[in-house]
Amino acid sequence: MKPAPTLSPAFLEPAGQQLPAPLLALRKQRGTALADMPLPTRKTENWKYSSRYLQMNEALATGLRPEGKAGPALAVDGYHVVFRNGVIVPEASVYPDTAGIEIKSFSELSDTEATDLAERLDNTLDSNAVQLARLNSARFEDGLLVRLKPDAVLDQPLFIVCETDASHSGSAYPRIYVDAGRHSKITLVEEYISTGGEPAMVNAVTEFTLAEGAQVTSVRLSLDGENVQHIGATGARLKASSRFESHTVGFGGPLRRHDLQVRLEEPGAECKLNGVVVTQGKQHYDNHTTIEHVAPHCNSEETYRNIAADQSHIIFNGRIHIHQDAQKSNANMSNKNLLLSNGAEIDTKPELEIYADDVKCAHGATVGQLNEDSIFYLVSRGIGRREATTLLSMAFINELIEQIPVALVRETSQARLNEFIDRTFVEV
Amino acid sequence: MLSIKNLHASVEGKEILKGINLEIKAGEIHAIMGPNGSGKSTLSQVLAGNEAFEVTDGEVLMDGNNLLDLATEERAREGVFLAFQYPVEIPGVSNMQFLRTAVNALRHHRGEDEMNAAEFMKLARETSKQVDLDPSFLKRGVNEGFSGGEKKRNEILQALLLKPRLAILDETDSGLDIDALKVVADGVNALKSEDRAVLMVTHYQRLLNHIVPDYVHVLADGRIVKSGGPELAFELEERGYGWLGINEAVAS
Repeated sequence: MKPAPTLSPAFLEPAGQQLPAPLLALRKQRGTALADMPLPTRKTENWKYSSRYLQMNEALATGLRPEGKAGPALAVDGYHVVFRNGVIVPEASVYPDTAGIEIKSFSELSDTEATDLAERLDNTLDSNAVQLARLNSARFEDGLLVRLKPDAVLDQPLFIVCETDASHSGSAYPRIYVDAGRHSKITLVEEYISTGGEPAMVNAVTEFTLAEGAQVTSVRLSLDGENVQHIGATGARLKASSRFESHTVGFGGPLRRHDLQVRLEEPGAECKLNGVVVTQGKQHYDNHTTIEHVAPHCNSEETYRNIAADQSHIIFNGRIHIHQDAQKSNANMSNKNLLLSNGAEIDTKPELEIYADDVKCAHGATVGQLNEDSIFYLVSRGIGRREATTLLSMAFINELIEQIPVALVRETSQARLNEFIDRTFVEV
Repeated sequence: MLSIKNLHASVEGKEILKGINLEIKAGEIHAIMGPNGSGKSTLSQVLAGNEAFEVTDGEVLMDGNNLLDLATEERAREGVFLAFQYPVEIPGVSNMQFLRTAVNALRHHRGEDEMNAAEFMKLARETSKQVDLDPSFLKRGVNEGFSGGEKKRNEILQALLLKPRLAILDETDSGLDIDALKVVADGVNALKSEDRAVLMVTHYQRLLNHIVPDYVHVLADGRIVKSGGPELAFELEERGYGWLGINEAVAS
């Protein structure tokens, strides 16, 4: 039997050295651990449906350097931080000036701060489940640290625009760490976009820690180009009575993978995870989510909806793990899927592991097509068939889009989704 | 305006309509009555263009054009409107968005400018009051969570906005309490005009207390077995269908 291909050593050579020593040391240590890492294959359980989309050739190992001009981003008036090829561009960013909120790039941290951060990085993510995202820790060139002191409240969303300039082939590694203190509150929007047409890869990791009573809303908008593979991981650890809300909106690409891992570690913690994915052509998108109910009396609510057209392929894997001590857990998971053509594929897998005996845990997954009665109702009013199918497809995901608490993202998502779905039905 | 000749239609290989002949002129109101299973709803669905039903013979001319050659949306644009017996719920599409898209599709077809959101909002709010539907229903998903009566009023609201040439009302009176029935009847009466025809399909005579038809037809086993004036409806109410040789139990 042929041995599985391993990660090319070229991927373990970071380009820049502009970080404080403790972070350089961490990066080196993570790189050493990844040497000879086998790349996922069909036999790797959590990459079963996606390994064939992954291209890790050596040209992609080149670290993309920040250069060129900013691409089209959301027209943000408020607070925003721009990453270009994984490095923060201060002159393109507007940091909030709010009491109790500290925002710094990794490169400007003192040694003490960097030592503290180095101990925390990766702690929200299960390394076995996110091997490839681990590469981010071996490669990040910069990063954003957001620290909220107790009771600090950011009055408007903080946008983080991660641009990949793919005018050369290579990869970028944006990194974000958010430390939300007791009863603090923040809404953070990550937007991933790209310019340029060469093959590129983004490997983005975002971590959140929520102290008692903290409230964090994370919005993730994935808009990278057709030449860009995207591997992303988001981790969150929640202390007592804190709340984490996540809204992801993803458009397909050659490879799209997002791992979302949430740990409810103390009583009263709760999370709400919403996701919308649309794919067309030969695009791919893979969402893997894990909710760990570690402590008793925690709630989780998860709703993902996917629409696959043409010959595209969407994967949803939702794992809920209720630990033995997590009595009175309340977990709800729903995944609904819409197939717009016979050639499209959706693989959905709810994974429930329950070791406590007094829990409420519900899950449901459906795969279907547009309802003919609904189409007939709309066309009987003079609405064209194509417009009717667009309206109904949007209706399928609108419920989730409408819950996004940031108007700019909601409107941008709606416009993009409309455009996307409308294009899908051109041939109908 | 509408001329149905020897119309045969079947669903899943079973023949439901077995040769319908009917002439409707502009300005007229026709009522089609008949027991359950006689083909009343099938006739409505076939005229609107539901592809679940297969037309096996006959023709339907509207203003001289064969309606059966047109796709559902084209029929609507030519002025055919069906008020559904069971309006479909479509969560995620707001009633307002649905109505405006429909109105603009028809305007576009007639070469008129589209109505903008503000103009349309005003029109829709006014019209919804006419059918006693609170304007808040415009913001909700299409028919989502509406009561039976609210759904029927929403159908009449659509008819009033779309101004069809031929309005087909499929059992629009079923499931309505007396107040709702009155509102729906007022809406239908408001639709009556010289260049518009109304075809009401109903099981009961009670709607006809509020809307006086010009003609009443009795449909049984896929054929029109008797036609007459409004007095025929009262006779049916009094005597049932038996005197026409229709065994209601068998037909349903």
